[in-house]
Amino acid sequence: MKRRNFLKKAALTTAGSIAFPYILPSGRLFAGSGNPPMAEHVVFVLFAGGVRQQEAIEKRYLAESQNLDIEGNIMYNMLTGDEPELKIVYGTTTPGGQPGGQPISPILQTPLDQQGTLFKEVRFSSAGTGHFTGLSTGVSGYYGTTQGLQQRPLHPTIFEYARRYGGFDATDVWFIGNGIGNSTPLLNHSEHRDYGWEYGANFFAPNITFGMEGQEHLKGFKSFHPEEELEPIEQMRHFLNQNFLQNGGRIPHLNNTEDEKEDIKAFIKEVFARQEAGQLVFPPVTDNGDLSTMGYATEILRWFKPKLTVINMSAVDSCHSSYTNYLQSLHRADHGVGFLWNYIQTQIPEMANNTVMMVMPEHGRNLEPNGILDENDWVAYDHDSDANSRRIFTMMVGPGIDGGLELGSEANPVGDAADVVPTIAEVLGFKNEVLNSGLLHSEAKSLFDQI
Amino acid sequence: MRLYTIILFSFLFVLPACKEKTYYYEVNEIEVEPNNSGKTKQKSVEQFINIAYANLNQQALSPDQLVDITNVITSIGDKQIAFETVIAKMITNPDISIPTESEMRTDIGLFVTETYKRFYVRLPTEAEKTFWINYIESHPTVTPEMVYFSFATSDEYYFY
Repeated sequence: MKRRNFLKKAALTTAGSIAFPYILPSGRLFAGSGNPPMAEHVVFVLFAGGVRQQEAIEKRYLAESQNLDIEGNIMYNMLTGDEPELKIVYGTTTPGGQPGGQPISPILQTPLDQQGTLFKEVRFSSAGTGHFTGLSTGVSGYYGTTQGLQQRPLHPTIFEYARRYGGFDATDVWFIGNGIGNSTPLLNHSEHRDYGWEYGANFFAPNITFGMEGQEHLKGFKSFHPEEELEPIEQMRHFLNQNFLQNGGRIPHLNNTEDEKEDIKAFIKEVFARQEAGQLVFPPVTDNGDLSTMGYATEILRWFKPKLTVINMSAVDSCHSSYTNYLQSLHRADHGVGFLWNYIQTQIPEMANNTVMMVMPEHGRNLEPNGILDENDWVAYDHDSDANSRRIFTMMVGPGIDGGLELGSEANPVGDAADVVPTIAEVLGFKNEVLNSGLLHSEAKSLFDQI
Repeated sequence: MRLYTIILFSFLFVLPACKEKTYYYEVNEIEVEPNNSGKTKQKSVEQFINIAYANLNQQALSPDQLVDITNVITSIGDKQIAFETVIAKMITNPDISIPTESEMRTDIGLFVTETYKRFYVRLPTEAEKTFWINYIESHPTVTPEMVYFSFATSDEYYFY
């Protein structure tokens, strides 16, 4: 009888394992239903607050904006092309005191467009070209046309897909914001009922966490001894929390394990210590928030070696009121990307040659100026959902990605802002799960499928 | 007969309306505190910081500091980590108002009651009080600071 039962159970188990693959606690199917990963790490740079194609991909400098016949490439870490020769305002101050007159030296010997694939004309095809909508689309692959500004994305983010289908830990997935404005801190997870906080990304706005506010109110926080203090504290807190369980209320969190929580605290301490010792590594020129964000981002990469990191920059949004500052910020955003890629390849052995980097503006900018003049009497540009503000580009570089390949033109765009999410999913090996979720923009597809 | 009827009605209707009797059953008067079941609303970050600072320091936080600390907490995604680190920083303040260890161990029951009132604005249940008395007695290395940290970073403290 026992033997018969055993055989019966064994047969059922075998049949079950074929019919219903084992589901990991992360929610991922044990049976590999996705594609094999192309790389172990992805870094996605949201670049960098609304960029016009004219000054970026088209390298037109002042020619398409200020009625001045001066062209040139001010993003020479990312793009191939000669820099402008006249009216140089985008660099640092020259020894002679000319503001912006000294271009920042390139970091990469070979521009990224030669190392990787450039989708020159991508479309932000739906919804308004606002920052939060753009960022939300970039991380969720879904145009939230009904998305509130102070509301988490309605559809899951790539962070949640990565943790749920990639089986990644909380500290494997990071969103690094350049600040806490524009609802940026809300982008680390959606409020979708099947995903949400338990699959969310860890988040820092490091210019604040490690800036003046953090130095005053965080630096030097008490570290409890792991066995003598922390263990009893956790026991006592567990008792308190158990007694409150009936109410169901929890302090919002991201499902970091206790070890991960302590690791993050140790990281915070380490950054403050390195900061005090002058050991933090920043881009050679770090004179705006985007570049200091990039420096702190490399600290996060070095410590956690995340599987997925999304970094948000936004300084070029100064274009609303100052075209000169826009050019300076665009030049610096390129400097930051060059620094980041170089740092990954030379300073983090675990990520070198094993990381795919993607770069995409969250949206473009208007064709027509808004009439505001800056110190050079140059006109400024907003982003009001005109056709020009829907023009963006996407660049990707890393293992398995063709070098020197360019696709798309203004008349024949290839790619959409919503395509980054399935593309990242393909790199990390869970594209099918993401596509099958039914929660992406209806036209979204991996950029690899459009080459 | 008429006289008896008048007297009877006087007792039944007039006298009880004039005087209300208070009965005492030898039960001590207690101040009723809310229990934790009514705490269903999350504090805002600003409320949390303001109250935590006041509970730990017995004085109010300045508006500038409130803005700064709120920004720091917003800059960290996992709020458990954010609260724990900010509170762990607050308790390094030399002006912090925490009972001494001898005060705690002299009358643990009183310490527990006062801690519940300070952080949870309620009295401990008998079961809670028993747990804490046993725990503190059996853990000689536990300090008031550790107990305060546990309360200030617990889930119930985030709700009202």
